[in-house]
Amino acid sequence: MECCGPGFASPADAIKAPRETLLYTIAIYTGTGIQKPDYLATVDVDPESPTYSQVIHRLEMPGIGDELHHMGWNACSSCFGDAGMSRKYLLLPGVRSNNIHVVDTATDPRAPRLHKVIEGAEIRAKTDLSGPHTVHCLGSEIIISMLGDAKGEAPGGYLHLNDEFEIVGRWENSMGDIKFGYDFWYQPRHNVMFSSEWAAPNTFMPGFDLEEVGHLKYGRELHIWDFERREPVESFYLGEDGLLPLEVKFHHDPDSSHGFCGAALSSNVIHWWKDDAGKWRWEKVIDVENEPHPEWPIPVPGVMSAILVSMDDKYLYLNNWLHGDMRQYDISDPHAPVLTGQVWMGGLLGKAPEVNGVKMAGGPQMFQLSLDGRRLYVTTSLFSTWDNQFYPEIRERGGVMVMIDCDPLHGGMTLNPEFVVDFGREPNGPSRCHEARYPGGDCTSDIWL
Amino acid sequence: MAVTTYRVTLANRENATFEVVARRPLLESLREQGVDLPYGCKYGGCITCAAKLTAGIVDQRRQVALNKRQINAGYVILCVARPMSDVTLEIGVDSHGALYRNPFLDPLEPHDLRQASPHQRLDDGP
Repeated sequence: MECCGPGFASPADAIKAPRETLLYTIAIYTGTGIQKPDYLATVDVDPESPTYSQVIHRLEMPGIGDELHHMGWNACSSCFGDAGMSRKYLLLPGVRSNNIHVVDTATDPRAPRLHKVIEGAEIRAKTDLSGPHTVHCLGSEIIISMLGDAKGEAPGGYLHLNDEFEIVGRWENSMGDIKFGYDFWYQPRHNVMFSSEWAAPNTFMPGFDLEEVGHLKYGRELHIWDFERREPVESFYLGEDGLLPLEVKFHHDPDSSHGFCGAALSSNVIHWWKDDAGKWRWEKVIDVENEPHPEWPIPVPGVMSAILVSMDDKYLYLNNWLHGDMRQYDISDPHAPVLTGQVWMGGLLGKAPEVNGVKMAGGPQMFQLSLDGRRLYVTTSLFSTWDNQFYPEIRERGGVMVMIDCDPLHGGMTLNPEFVVDFGREPNGPSRCHEARYPGGDCTSDIWL
Repeated sequence: MAVTTYRVTLANRENATFEVVARRPLLESLREQGVDLPYGCKYGGCITCAAKLTAGIVDQRRQVALNKRQINAGYVILCVARPMSDVTLEIGVDSHGALYRNPFLDPLEPHDLRQASPHQRLDDGP
Protein backbone atom coordinates (compact mmCIF):
# COMPACT_ATOMS: atom_id res chain seq x y z
CA MET A 1 0.00 0.00 0.00
CA GLU A 2 1.42 3.40 -0.98
CA CYS A 3 1.30 6.30 1.40
CA CYS A 4 -1.09 9.04 1.79
CA GLY A 5 -4.03 8.53 4.09
CA PRO A 6 -4.02 9.36 7.78
CA GLY A 7 -2.16 7.41 10.41
CA PHE A 8 0.43 4.75 9.78
CA ALA A 9 0.95 1.67 7.61
CA SER A 10 1.40 -0.54 10.67
CA PRO A 11 1.73 -0.41 14.47
CA ALA A 12 5.52 -0.71 13.99
CA ASP A 13 5.48 2.48 11.90
CA ALA A 14 3.31 4.23 14.48
CA ILE A 15 5.89 3.51 17.19
CA LYS A 16 8.53 5.30 15.08
CA ALA A 17 6.41 8.46 14.68
CA PRO A 18 7.76 11.79 16.01
CA ARG A 19 7.18 12.48 19.70
CA GLU A 20 3.87 14.19 20.57
CA THR A 21 4.14 17.92 21.31
CA LEU A 22 0.48 18.67 22.03
CA LEU A 23 -2.36 16.77 23.52
CA TYR A 24 -6.05 17.46 23.83
CA THR A 25 -8.09 16.70 26.89
CA ILE A 26 -11.66 17.55 27.66
CA ALA A 27 -12.36 19.51 30.83
CA ILE A 28 -15.81 19.70 32.37
CA TYR A 29 -17.81 22.12 34.47
CA THR A 30 -20.99 20.05 34.29
CA GLY A 31 -21.87 18.95 37.82
CA THR A 32 -19.26 21.18 39.46
CA GLY A 33 -21.50 24.11 40.43
CA ILE A 34 -19.83 26.41 37.90
CA GLN A 35 -22.28 27.24 35.12
CA LYS A 36 -19.70 27.48 32.30
CA PRO A 37 -19.38 25.38 29.15
CA ASP A 38 -17.20 22.29 29.13
CA TYR A 39 -14.13 22.77 26.93
CA LEU A 40 -11.37 21.12 24.97
CA ALA A 41 -8.01 22.01 26.49
CA THR A 42 -4.79 21.96 24.49
CA VAL A 43 -1.87 20.95 26.71
CA ASP A 44 1.72 21.67 25.72
CA VAL A 45 3.72 18.45 26.14
CA ASP A 46 6.90 19.59 24.35
CA PRO A 47 9.60 19.73 27.06
CA GLU A 48 11.57 22.25 24.96
CA SER A 49 8.68 24.69 24.97
CA PRO A 50 8.43 27.60 27.46
CA THR A 51 4.77 26.64 28.09
CA TYR A 52 5.51 22.95 28.73
CA SER A 53 3.02 21.33 31.14
CA GLN A 54 0.47 24.13 30.74
CA VAL A 55 -2.96 24.55 29.17
CA ILE A 56 -2.27 26.78 26.14
CA HIS A 57 -5.75 26.97 24.61
CA ARG A 58 -9.35 26.37 25.65
CA LEU A 59 -12.14 25.77 23.14
CA GLU A 60 -15.46 26.25 24.91
CA MET A 61 -18.53 24.37 23.74
CA PRO A 62 -21.50 26.54 22.66
CA GLY A 63 -23.68 25.70 25.70
CA ILE A 64 -23.41 24.42 29.26
CA GLY A 65 -24.18 20.96 30.61
CA ASP A 66 -22.84 18.71 27.83
CA GLU A 67 -20.61 16.59 30.10
CA LEU A 68 -17.96 15.91 27.51
CA HIS A 69 -16.56 12.45 28.14
CA HIS A 70 -14.80 10.29 25.55
CA MET A 71 -13.60 11.52 22.16
CA GLY A 72 -12.64 10.04 18.82
CA TRP A 73 -11.12 10.93 15.46
CA ASN A 74 -12.93 11.19 12.15
CA ALA A 75 -10.20 9.03 10.63
CA CYS A 76 -7.41 6.76 11.86
CA SER A 77 -4.96 4.26 10.39
CA SER A 78 -7.94 2.29 9.07
CA CYS A 79 -8.00 4.99 6.34
CA PHE A 80 -4.25 4.86 5.67
CA GLY A 81 -4.84 3.69 2.12
CA ASP A 82 -7.28 6.53 1.34
CA ALA A 83 -5.45 9.66 0.18
CA GLY A 84 -8.72 11.59 0.32
CA MET A 85 -8.98 11.25 4.11
CA SER A 86 -7.13 13.08 6.86
CA ARG A 87 -7.17 13.03 10.64
CA LYS A 88 -8.55 16.48 10.90
CA TYR A 89 -11.62 16.35 13.10
CA LEU A 90 -12.01 15.29 16.70
CA LEU A 91 -15.55 14.35 17.77
CA LEU A 92 -16.58 15.34 21.29
CA PRO A 93 -19.92 13.89 22.35
CA GLY A 94 -21.81 15.28 25.36
CA VAL A 95 -23.13 12.38 27.44
CA ARG A 96 -25.91 14.50 28.95
CA SER A 97 -26.85 16.87 26.12
CA ASN A 98 -26.32 14.23 23.39
CA ASN A 99 -24.76 17.02 21.28
CA ILE A 100 -21.82 15.83 19.19
CA HIS A 101 -19.23 18.54 18.64
CA VAL A 102 -17.00 18.19 15.60
CA VAL A 103 -13.75 20.07 16.19
CA ASP A 104 -11.23 21.00 13.49
CA THR A 105 -7.78 20.35 14.98
CA ALA A 106 -5.80 20.60 11.75
CA THR A 107 -6.17 24.25 10.68
CA ASP A 108 -4.38 25.33 13.86
CA PRO A 109 -3.47 22.36 16.04
CA ARG A 110 -2.70 24.58 19.03
CA ALA A 111 -6.06 26.35 18.81
CA PRO A 112 -8.73 23.90 17.62
CA ARG A 113 -11.98 25.41 16.36
CA LEU A 114 -15.56 24.22 16.30
CA HIS A 115 -16.56 22.91 12.87
CA LYS A 116 -20.08 21.63 13.44
CA VAL A 117 -22.50 20.52 16.14
CA ILE A 118 -24.82 17.59 15.58
CA GLU A 119 -27.70 18.51 17.88
CA GLY A 120 -28.74 16.00 20.51
CA ALA A 121 -32.41 16.65 19.81
CA GLU A 122 -31.89 15.70 16.15
CA ILE A 123 -30.09 12.48 17.13
CA ARG A 124 -32.87 11.51 19.53
CA ALA A 125 -35.59 12.29 17.01
CA LYS A 126 -33.98 10.52 14.04
CA THR A 127 -32.43 7.48 15.70
CA ASP A 128 -34.15 7.07 19.11
CA LEU A 129 -30.73 7.10 20.77
CA SER A 130 -29.09 8.98 23.66
CA GLY A 131 -25.99 8.79 25.84
CA PRO A 132 -23.09 8.87 23.35
CA HIS A 133 -19.90 7.15 24.47
CA THR A 134 -17.17 5.60 22.31
CA VAL A 135 -16.32 7.03 18.89
CA HIS A 136 -14.51 4.94 16.26
CA CYS A 137 -13.96 5.68 12.60
CA LEU A 138 -14.83 2.85 10.22
CA GLY A 139 -12.83 3.48 7.15
CA SER A 140 -14.33 6.79 6.05
CA GLU A 141 -17.40 6.75 8.26
CA ILE A 142 -17.97 6.94 12.01
CA ILE A 143 -19.93 4.96 14.56
CA ILE A 144 -20.64 5.97 18.14
CA SER A 145 -21.95 3.68 20.85
CA MET A 146 -25.08 5.19 22.40
CA LEU A 147 -25.99 3.81 25.82
CA GLY A 148 -29.72 4.45 25.80
CA ASP A 149 -32.77 5.07 23.69
CA ALA A 150 -34.23 8.56 23.51
CA LYS A 151 -35.78 8.04 26.96
CA GLY A 152 -32.56 6.79 28.55
CA GLU A 153 -33.51 3.11 28.62
CA ALA A 154 -30.95 0.42 27.69
CA PRO A 155 -29.61 -1.07 25.47
CA GLY A 156 -29.37 1.85 23.03
CA GLY A 157 -27.40 1.12 19.88
CA TYR A 158 -24.91 2.62 17.45
CA LEU A 159 -25.17 6.00 15.76
CA HIS A 160 -23.83 5.99 12.20
CA LEU A 161 -22.43 9.23 10.74
CA ASN A 162 -21.06 9.80 7.25
CA ASP A 163 -17.84 11.67 6.47
CA GLU A 164 -19.76 14.96 6.31
CA PHE A 165 -20.96 14.31 9.88
CA GLU A 166 -24.53 13.80 8.81
CA ILE A 167 -26.74 11.26 10.53
CA VAL A 168 -27.03 8.11 8.43
CA GLY A 169 -29.14 6.34 11.06
CA ARG A 170 -28.57 3.27 13.19
CA TRP A 171 -25.43 1.33 12.29
CA GLU A 172 -26.42 -2.05 13.71
CA ASN A 173 -28.89 -4.36 12.05
CA SER A 174 -29.77 -5.88 15.39
CA MET A 175 -28.84 -5.57 19.06
CA GLY A 176 -29.78 -9.24 19.55
CA ASP A 177 -30.24 -10.00 23.25
CA ILE A 178 -27.75 -7.35 24.37
CA LYS A 179 -28.92 -5.68 27.57
CA PHE A 180 -26.52 -2.73 27.81
CA GLY A 181 -23.96 -0.84 25.77
CA TYR A 182 -20.68 0.90 26.51
CA ASP A 183 -17.35 0.47 24.69
CA PHE A 184 -16.44 -1.38 21.48
CA TRP A 185 -13.43 -2.20 19.35
CA TYR A 186 -13.28 -4.00 16.02
CA GLN A 187 -10.64 -6.19 14.36
CA PRO A 188 -11.52 -6.36 10.66
CA ARG A 189 -9.25 -9.24 9.63
CA HIS A 190 -11.29 -11.45 11.94
CA ASN A 191 -14.57 -9.77 10.89
CA VAL A 192 -15.26 -9.20 14.56
CA MET A 193 -16.30 -6.47 16.97
CA PHE A 194 -16.40 -6.81 20.77
CA SER A 195 -18.75 -4.65 22.82
CA SER A 196 -19.12 -4.24 26.58
CA GLU A 197 -21.77 -3.17 29.09
CA TRP A 198 -22.18 -0.36 31.60
CA ALA A 199 -25.81 0.45 32.33
CA ALA A 200 -28.76 2.46 31.06
CA PRO A 201 -28.35 6.24 31.30
CA ASN A 202 -31.34 6.25 33.66
CA THR A 203 -29.32 4.01 35.97
CA PHE A 204 -25.88 5.64 35.91
CA MET A 205 -26.98 9.29 35.69
CA PRO A 206 -28.37 9.38 39.28
CA GLY A 207 -25.13 7.90 40.65
CA PHE A 208 -23.80 4.44 41.46
CA ASP A 209 -25.84 2.25 43.80
CA LEU A 210 -24.38 -1.09 44.81
CA GLU A 211 -27.88 -2.51 45.27
CA GLU A 212 -28.62 -1.94 41.60
CA VAL A 213 -25.76 -4.26 40.66
CA GLY A 214 -27.62 -6.98 42.55
CA HIS A 215 -30.81 -6.05 40.71
CA LEU A 216 -29.01 -6.67 37.40
CA LYS A 217 -29.16 -3.05 36.35
CA TYR A 218 -25.44 -3.06 35.55
CA GLY A 219 -23.73 -5.18 32.90
CA ARG A 220 -21.77 -8.40 33.25
CA GLU A 221 -21.46 -9.63 29.66
CA LEU A 222 -19.21 -9.17 26.62
CA HIS A 223 -20.63 -9.42 23.12
CA ILE A 224 -19.06 -10.71 19.93
CA TRP A 225 -20.34 -9.23 16.68
CA ASP A 226 -20.24 -10.32 13.06
CA PHE A 227 -18.80 -7.00 11.97
CA GLU A 228 -19.94 -7.12 8.34
CA ARG A 229 -23.44 -8.31 9.18
CA ARG A 230 -23.59 -5.72 11.97
CA GLU A 231 -25.20 -8.00 14.51
CA PRO A 232 -24.15 -9.80 17.67
CA VAL A 233 -23.52 -13.54 17.26
CA GLU A 234 -22.29 -14.67 20.67
CA SER A 235 -22.03 -13.42 24.26
CA PHE A 236 -19.76 -14.23 27.17
CA TYR A 237 -21.53 -14.26 30.53
CA LEU A 238 -18.77 -13.17 32.90
CA GLY A 239 -20.78 -13.31 36.11
CA GLU A 240 -19.15 -12.09 39.32
CA ASP A 241 -15.77 -12.00 37.56
CA GLY A 242 -17.00 -9.40 35.13
CA LEU A 243 -19.18 -6.88 36.92
CA LEU A 244 -19.32 -3.65 34.89
CA PRO A 245 -17.17 -4.76 31.95
CA LEU A 246 -16.11 -1.37 30.57
CA GLU A 247 -13.18 -0.80 28.26
CA VAL A 248 -12.39 -3.27 25.49
CA LYS A 249 -9.15 -3.28 23.50
CA PHE A 250 -7.85 -5.66 20.86
CA HIS A 251 -4.15 -6.07 20.21
CA HIS A 252 -3.02 -3.43 17.70
CA ASP A 253 -1.58 -6.20 15.50
CA PRO A 254 -4.43 -6.60 13.00
CA ASP A 255 -3.78 -10.33 12.65
CA SER A 256 -4.17 -11.00 16.36
CA SER A 257 -7.44 -12.24 17.84
CA HIS A 258 -6.37 -11.43 21.43
CA GLY A 259 -8.13 -8.70 23.33
CA PHE A 260 -8.82 -7.50 26.85
CA CYS A 261 -11.59 -5.99 28.92
CA GLY A 262 -11.39 -4.27 32.29
CA ALA A 263 -14.32 -5.20 34.53
CA ALA A 264 -14.57 -2.07 36.68
CA LEU A 265 -16.41 -3.24 39.78
CA SER A 266 -14.87 -6.73 39.89
CA SER A 267 -11.54 -5.01 39.11
CA ASN A 268 -10.49 -7.89 36.88
CA VAL A 269 -8.96 -8.04 33.45
CA ILE A 270 -10.71 -10.46 31.12
CA HIS A 271 -8.67 -11.84 28.21
CA TRP A 272 -10.30 -13.27 25.08
CA TRP A 273 -8.93 -14.96 21.97
CA LYS A 274 -9.91 -17.30 19.15
CA ASP A 275 -8.61 -20.82 19.65
CA ASP A 276 -7.19 -23.15 16.99
CA ALA A 277 -10.66 -24.53 16.31
CA GLY A 278 -11.93 -21.00 15.58
CA LYS A 279 -13.92 -20.76 18.80
CA TRP A 280 -13.85 -17.58 20.91
CA ARG A 281 -12.65 -18.20 24.47
CA TRP A 282 -12.26 -16.05 27.59
CA GLU A 283 -10.45 -16.20 30.93
CA LYS A 284 -9.74 -13.90 33.87
CA VAL A 285 -6.05 -13.00 33.86
CA ILE A 286 -5.74 -10.19 36.44
CA ASP A 287 -7.65 -9.90 39.71
CA VAL A 288 -7.19 -6.79 41.87
CA GLU A 289 -8.24 -7.57 45.43
CA ASN A 290 -10.61 -5.26 47.30
CA GLU A 291 -8.84 -3.31 50.04
CA PRO A 292 -10.09 -2.62 53.57
CA HIS A 293 -10.69 1.03 54.44
CA PRO A 294 -10.48 2.17 58.07
CA GLU A 295 -13.82 4.00 57.96
CA TRP A 296 -15.80 1.96 55.48
CA PRO A 297 -17.92 -1.08 56.34
CA ILE A 298 -17.45 -2.49 52.86
CA PRO A 299 -13.94 -3.11 51.41
CA VAL A 300 -13.01 -0.78 48.59
CA PRO A 301 -12.91 -2.26 45.08
CA GLY A 302 -10.20 -0.96 42.74
CA VAL A 303 -12.71 0.30 40.17
CA MET A 304 -10.75 -0.42 37.03
CA SER A 305 -12.44 2.06 34.75
CA ALA A 306 -9.91 1.97 31.89
CA ILE A 307 -7.31 -0.25 30.24
CA LEU A 308 -4.83 0.45 27.46
CA VAL A 309 -2.58 -1.75 25.33
CA SER A 310 0.77 -0.30 24.20
CA MET A 311 1.31 0.01 20.45
CA ASP A 312 3.78 -2.90 20.47
CA ASP A 313 1.17 -5.08 22.26
CA LYS A 314 3.70 -5.83 25.00
CA TYR A 315 2.16 -3.94 27.92
CA LEU A 316 -1.29 -3.50 29.34
CA TYR A 317 -1.95 -0.49 31.58
CA LEU A 318 -4.83 -0.28 34.04
CA ASN A 319 -6.10 2.04 36.76
CA ASN A 320 -7.71 1.48 40.12
CA TRP A 321 -9.65 4.70 40.50
CA LEU A 322 -10.68 4.19 44.12
CA HIS A 323 -7.44 2.56 45.31
CA GLY A 324 -5.30 5.19 43.58
CA ASP A 325 -2.78 3.16 41.59
CA MET A 326 -1.79 2.81 37.95
CA ARG A 327 -0.32 -0.52 36.94
CA GLN A 328 1.72 -1.87 34.07
CA TYR A 329 1.59 -5.56 33.14
CA ASP A 330 3.80 -7.37 30.64
CA ILE A 331 1.34 -9.25 28.42
CA SER A 332 3.91 -10.90 26.13
CA ASP A 333 2.04 -14.04 27.18
CA PRO A 334 -1.54 -12.75 27.15
CA HIS A 335 -2.65 -15.75 29.20
CA ALA A 336 -0.27 -14.85 32.03
CA PRO A 337 0.28 -11.10 32.57
CA VAL A 338 3.19 -10.13 34.85
CA LEU A 339 3.02 -6.98 37.01
CA THR A 340 6.03 -4.86 36.01
CA GLY A 341 5.18 -1.38 37.30
CA GLN A 342 2.96 0.52 39.74
CA VAL A 343 2.54 4.20 40.62
CA TRP A 344 0.31 5.67 43.33
CA MET A 345 -1.55 8.95 42.83
CA GLY A 346 -4.53 10.11 44.89
CA GLY A 347 -7.12 7.47 45.70
CA LEU A 348 -8.98 6.63 48.89
CA LEU A 349 -6.30 4.50 50.55
CA GLY A 350 -4.10 7.48 51.42
CA LYS A 351 -0.95 6.21 49.68
CA ALA A 352 -0.25 9.37 47.66
CA PRO A 353 -2.47 12.29 48.70
CA GLU A 354 -0.17 14.82 47.02
CA VAL A 355 1.62 14.50 43.69
CA ASN A 356 4.17 17.04 42.39
CA GLY A 357 2.88 19.62 44.85
CA VAL A 358 -0.79 19.20 43.95
CA LYS A 359 -3.29 17.79 46.45
CA MET A 360 -5.16 15.10 44.57
CA ALA A 361 -8.94 14.80 44.56
CA GLY A 362 -9.78 11.61 42.72
CA GLY A 363 -7.60 8.79 41.55
CA PRO A 364 -6.04 7.74 38.25
CA GLN A 365 -8.88 7.45 35.78
CA MET A 366 -8.25 7.97 32.05
CA PHE A 367 -4.84 7.69 30.43
CA GLN A 368 -3.19 7.94 27.06
CA LEU A 369 0.17 6.42 26.14
CA SER A 370 2.65 7.89 23.67
CA LEU A 371 3.08 5.91 20.47
CA ASP A 372 6.63 4.93 21.50
CA GLY A 373 5.28 3.63 24.82
CA ARG A 374 7.41 5.91 27.03
CA ARG A 375 4.99 8.55 28.35
CA LEU A 376 1.66 7.85 29.97
CA TYR A 377 -0.56 10.90 30.62
CA VAL A 378 -3.09 10.27 33.39
CA THR A 379 -6.16 12.27 34.51
CA THR A 380 -8.36 11.93 37.58
CA SER A 381 -12.06 12.58 36.90
CA LEU A 382 -14.46 9.76 35.96
CA PHE A 383 -18.00 11.09 35.53
CA SER A 384 -19.28 14.16 37.35
CA THR A 385 -22.00 12.33 39.29
CA TRP A 386 -19.64 9.53 40.34
CA ASP A 387 -16.82 11.99 41.15
CA ASN A 388 -19.24 13.77 43.48
CA GLN A 389 -20.13 10.50 45.19
CA PHE A 390 -16.66 9.18 45.86
CA TYR A 391 -14.45 12.29 45.84
CA PRO A 392 -16.71 15.22 46.83
CA GLU A 393 -13.64 17.42 47.44
CA ILE A 394 -13.03 17.40 43.67
CA ARG A 395 -15.56 20.28 43.46
CA GLU A 396 -13.09 22.61 45.12
CA ARG A 397 -9.85 21.06 43.85
CA GLY A 398 -10.68 20.09 40.28
CA GLY A 399 -8.89 17.46 38.22
CA VAL A 400 -5.19 16.88 37.63
CA MET A 401 -3.10 15.56 34.75
CA VAL A 402 0.24 13.92 35.48
CA MET A 403 2.76 12.00 33.41
CA ILE A 404 4.30 8.63 34.14
CA ASP A 405 7.59 7.64 32.53
CA CYS A 406 7.40 4.08 31.28
CA ASP A 407 10.23 1.76 30.30
CA PRO A 408 9.10 -0.16 27.22
CA LEU A 409 12.23 -2.32 27.11
CA HIS A 410 12.51 -3.67 30.65
CA GLY A 411 9.18 -2.65 32.14
CA GLY A 412 8.67 -0.28 35.04
CA MET A 413 6.99 3.06 35.58
CA THR A 414 7.86 6.18 37.60
CA LEU A 415 6.00 9.42 38.16
CA ASN A 416 7.60 12.25 36.16
CA PRO A 417 8.50 15.00 38.68
CA GLU A 418 8.44 17.86 36.14
CA PHE A 419 4.98 17.49 34.64
CA VAL A 420 1.70 18.36 36.30
CA VAL A 421 -1.33 20.26 35.01
CA ASP A 422 -3.58 21.42 37.85
CA PHE A 423 -7.10 21.94 36.52
CA GLY A 424 -7.99 23.32 39.94
CA ARG A 425 -6.39 26.59 38.81
CA GLU A 426 -8.29 27.14 35.58
CA PRO A 427 -9.47 30.72 34.83
CA ASN A 428 -13.17 29.98 35.36
CA GLY A 429 -12.58 27.87 38.47
CA PRO A 430 -11.79 24.20 39.14
CA SER A 431 -12.65 21.99 36.15
CA ARG A 432 -12.14 18.26 35.68
CA CYS A 433 -9.96 16.78 32.95
CA HIS A 434 -10.81 13.42 31.47
CA GLU A 435 -9.81 11.66 28.26
CA ALA A 436 -6.75 12.72 26.21
CA ARG A 437 -5.81 12.33 22.54
CA TYR A 438 -2.79 13.36 20.46
CA PRO A 439 -3.13 15.14 17.13
CA GLY A 440 -1.13 12.49 15.24
CA GLY A 441 -2.81 9.37 16.54
CA ASP A 442 -2.54 7.45 19.77
CA CYS A 443 -2.83 4.07 21.40
CA THR A 444 -6.60 4.13 21.85
CA SER A 445 -7.67 5.27 18.37
CA ASP A 446 -5.93 3.43 15.60
CA ILE A 447 -7.18 0.24 13.99
CA TRP A 448 -5.64 -1.43 10.94
CA LEU A 449 -7.67 -3.06 8.17
CA MET B 1 -58.57 32.82 30.70
CA ALA B 2 -56.13 34.00 33.33
CA VAL B 3 -52.69 32.43 33.35
CA THR B 4 -52.08 30.53 36.58
CA THR B 5 -48.94 31.65 38.36
CA TYR B 6 -47.21 30.52 41.52
CA ARG B 7 -44.53 31.92 43.74
CA VAL B 8 -41.12 30.21 43.96
CA THR B 9 -38.92 30.87 46.99
CA LEU B 10 -35.24 29.97 46.75
CA ALA B 11 -34.29 29.07 50.30
CA ASN B 12 -30.54 28.99 49.66
CA ARG B 13 -30.55 32.25 47.68
CA GLU B 14 -31.57 34.49 50.56
CA ASN B 15 -35.21 33.48 50.09
CA ALA B 16 -35.42 35.34 46.80
CA THR B 17 -38.91 34.98 45.28
CA PHE B 18 -40.09 34.72 41.69
CA GLU B 19 -43.47 34.54 40.00
CA VAL B 20 -43.66 31.65 37.53
CA VAL B 21 -46.39 30.32 35.26
CA ALA B 22 -47.82 26.90 36.07
CA ARG B 23 -47.56 25.36 32.64
CA ARG B 24 -43.82 25.88 32.06
CA PRO B 25 -40.87 23.98 33.50
CA LEU B 26 -39.28 25.70 36.47
CA LEU B 27 -35.82 25.71 34.87
CA GLU B 28 -37.05 27.83 31.96
CA SER B 29 -39.02 30.26 34.08
CA LEU B 30 -36.24 30.77 36.63
CA ARG B 31 -33.43 31.10 34.10
CA GLU B 32 -35.42 33.71 32.18
CA GLN B 33 -35.57 35.72 35.37
CA GLY B 34 -31.81 35.56 35.76
CA VAL B 35 -31.37 32.68 38.21
CA ASP B 36 -28.01 30.93 37.64
CA LEU B 37 -28.92 27.24 37.39
CA PRO B 38 -27.10 24.16 36.12
CA TYR B 39 -28.72 21.96 33.51
CA GLY B 40 -27.76 19.27 30.99
CA CYS B 41 -30.18 17.32 28.83
CA LYS B 42 -33.32 19.50 29.26
CA TYR B 43 -35.61 16.45 28.98
CA GLY B 44 -35.51 15.06 32.50
CA GLY B 45 -32.86 12.44 31.81
CA CYS B 46 -29.61 13.51 33.42
CA ILE B 47 -30.07 14.87 36.99
CA THR B 48 -27.76 17.88 36.42
CA CYS B 49 -30.51 20.41 37.26
CA ALA B 50 -31.75 18.58 40.37
CA ALA B 51 -33.03 20.83 43.15
CA LYS B 52 -34.47 20.08 46.58
CA LEU B 53 -38.17 20.78 47.08
CA THR B 54 -38.79 21.73 50.71
CA ALA B 55 -42.38 22.98 50.40
CA GLY B 56 -45.12 22.75 47.81
CA ILE B 57 -45.96 20.36 44.99
CA VAL B 58 -44.57 19.94 41.46
CA ASP B 59 -45.54 17.73 38.55
CA GLN B 60 -42.37 15.99 37.38
CA ARG B 61 -43.86 12.95 35.69
CA ARG B 62 -41.57 13.41 32.72
CA GLN B 63 -38.34 12.95 34.67
CA VAL B 64 -36.59 9.59 34.29
CA ALA B 65 -33.28 10.23 36.09
CA LEU B 66 -34.07 10.16 39.82
CA ASN B 67 -34.14 6.95 41.80
CA LYS B 68 -36.57 6.31 44.64
CA ARG B 69 -34.13 7.30 47.34
CA GLN B 70 -33.55 10.66 45.68
CA ILE B 71 -37.27 11.29 45.16
CA ASN B 72 -37.95 10.48 48.80
CA ALA B 73 -35.20 12.91 49.77
CA GLY B 74 -37.19 15.64 48.01
CA TYR B 75 -35.28 16.06 44.78
CA VAL B 76 -36.98 17.38 41.68
CA ILE B 77 -35.75 17.80 38.12
CA LEU B 78 -36.26 21.44 37.25
CA CYS B 79 -36.02 21.09 33.47
CA VAL B 80 -39.32 19.15 33.39
CA ALA B 81 -40.94 19.96 36.77
CA ARG B 82 -43.93 22.30 36.65
CA PRO B 83 -45.25 23.95 39.82
CA MET B 84 -48.67 22.91 41.11
CA SER B 85 -48.60 25.28 44.10
CA ASP B 86 -46.29 27.89 45.59
CA VAL B 87 -42.98 26.08 46.12
CA THR B 88 -39.79 26.49 48.12
CA LEU B 89 -36.60 25.13 46.59
CA GLU B 90 -32.93 24.77 47.39
CA ILE B 91 -31.06 25.01 44.08
CA GLY B 92 -27.67 24.35 42.53
CA VAL B 93 -25.03 21.83 43.50
CA ASP B 94 -24.99 23.24 47.04
CA SER B 95 -28.40 21.54 47.40
CA HIS B 96 -26.99 18.19 46.27
CA GLY B 97 -25.73 16.98 49.65
CA ALA B 98 -28.28 14.16 49.91
CA LEU B 99 -28.45 13.60 46.15
CA TYR B 100 -25.28 11.53 46.08
CA ARG B 101 -24.19 8.87 48.48
CA ASN B 102 -21.11 6.67 48.66
CA PRO B 103 -22.51 3.12 48.62
CA PHE B 104 -19.38 1.60 50.18
CA LEU B 105 -19.20 4.14 53.00
CA ASP B 106 -22.95 4.37 53.64
CA PRO B 107 -24.73 1.14 52.76
CA LEU B 108 -28.46 1.69 52.40
CA GLU B 109 -30.53 1.93 55.58
CA PRO B 110 -33.14 -0.81 56.04
CA HIS B 111 -35.98 1.54 55.07
CA ASP B 112 -34.10 2.44 51.86
CA LEU B 113 -33.81 -1.24 51.04
CA ARG B 114 -37.56 -1.62 51.42
CA GLN B 115 -38.00 1.14 48.88
CA ALA B 116 -35.83 -0.80 46.48
CA SER B 117 -38.80 -3.19 46.35
CA PRO B 118 -37.64 -6.76 46.90
CA HIS B 119 -41.04 -7.91 45.62
CA GLN B 120 -40.03 -6.87 42.16
CA ARG B 121 -37.40 -9.56 42.08
CA LEU B 122 -39.77 -12.22 43.30
CA ASP B 123 -42.44 -11.16 40.85
CA ASP B 124 -40.03 -11.15 37.93
CA GLY B 125 -40.12 -14.93 38.12
CA PRO B 126 -37.96 -17.35 36.17
